[in-house]
Amino acid sequence: MLAVIWKDLMLEARGRETIASLFVLGLLVLVLFNFAVDIDASNVASIAPGILWIAIVFSATLALGRAFAIERENGCMTGLLLAPLDRGSLYLAKLIVNVLVLLIFEALLLPFFVLLFGLGISAALPHLLLVLLAGTIGLGAVGTLFALAALGTRARELMLPLLILPLQIPLLIAAVRASDMVLKGASVLALGAWGNLLVGFDVLFVTAGWLVFEYMTVD
Amino acid sequence: MVIALERVLLRFSLPIVAALFLLTIGCVFFWVPTDAGLGLSQRIFYYHVPAATVSFLGFGAGGVASALFLANGRSEWDMAARASISVAMVFATMVLVTGSIWARTAWGTWWTWDARLTTFLVLWMLFASYGLLRSFARGTELGSRYAAVLAIAGTLNIPLVMMATRLWRTIHPQVIANPQGGIQDPAMRATLGLSMIAFLVLFAMLWALQLRVLRLGAKIEVLLLEAVEGGNQR
Repeated sequence: MLAVIWKDLMLEARGRETIASLFVLGLLVLVLFNFAVDIDASNVASIAPGILWIAIVFSATLALGRAFAIERENGCMTGLLLAPLDRGSLYLAKLIVNVLVLLIFEALLLPFFVLLFGLGISAALPHLLLVLLAGTIGLGAVGTLFALAALGTRARELMLPLLILPLQIPLLIAAVRASDMVLKGASVLALGAWGNLLVGFDVLFVTAGWLVFEYMTVD
Repeated sequence: MVIALERVLLRFSLPIVAALFLLTIGCVFFWVPTDAGLGLSQRIFYYHVPAATVSFLGFGAGGVASALFLANGRSEWDMAARASISVAMVFATMVLVTGSIWARTAWGTWWTWDARLTTFLVLWMLFASYGLLRSFARGTELGSRYAAVLAIAGTLNIPLVMMATRLWRTIHPQVIANPQGGIQDPAMRATLGLSMIAFLVLFAMLWALQLRVLRLGAKIEVLLLEAVEGGNQR
């Protein structure tokens, strides 16, 4: 399992393709929203968390699509499946890589988000990072599970967002609300129902993915 | 088990559905009293509410059948799930349409982001993507498994969606008052109950028909394959 994680991380570290394209896409979304929505000092605080999460969700969809596509392009899927590793662990390995890549991307994007929207977040930063982590695990859990399914269909790139976005709606709502509260000065521990929903979604879908991944890979 | 159920339903359900629906339509338009507060438009409830109930049941049944398919790998359960979800989608679309029509007359707007409406729309989109996956996945065993996992994930997601939309609504101003007062009139209750049964039987019949279509389609594919192979040997 560690070997698979290491292999994917090395691949990313050498190429840096995914993170670079994610970063540019995320930045583009931030900029596009500046034009799409009339933002000024009076409403920026309520709109900004939503924009940040839309940027993350769209970029994540792109990144997740790559997770198994690289194996397929290089003809390594069979090798991975033959490795002495149960399928649940393979799922967890891919999930960890996806989450790490997305977290790096978010760390790069965050300064620009703060800059472009003129937010003072130094006090809220640790809390926001925890919300980002919880949200990213949820996005990754759903995405990693269905990235493989989307690959098995005819219109691969088209299929993945259609599969995962509806499933991610409750997570998105919770993540946006939680970020909003955190940016307004709340502590992570005081998120109440939103925090429960975030963690609950993560636990539910990581477990579900770990359990059912086996059925999605046996030929 | 699935196939036996399909046979029984196809043999007996048509006259029952026809009779129940004639009776329901008669009750809704000629017998049940008009609601004092909401007026004539309230009569759409006798279609809206049963359709919603049936579509929830259909999605739930689809999720359960999908889990059974993953557990035992028998294609009849896969087809049962697929048929159940696709018929439930028809009813869910009907719920959204009748709901919108009613909302226009009662609330003066086609749509509001009320918790219930949002939940149902998300549910509709979830299973719409199931339909897309089914048509895009090649007709393989693996494609069926992907779809089954999606149906299970969708079903698991329903309580989370409900929770999220309800919380999300409570922090926003409530645009419209909650119209749920509960039905008291016995004639209204009877009509709603009758309509509920009629919709359930209709769902069962459509499910059986859809299942038959799927099974015959699979059979044709096998026959075609055999014919092609036979032609090659000659």
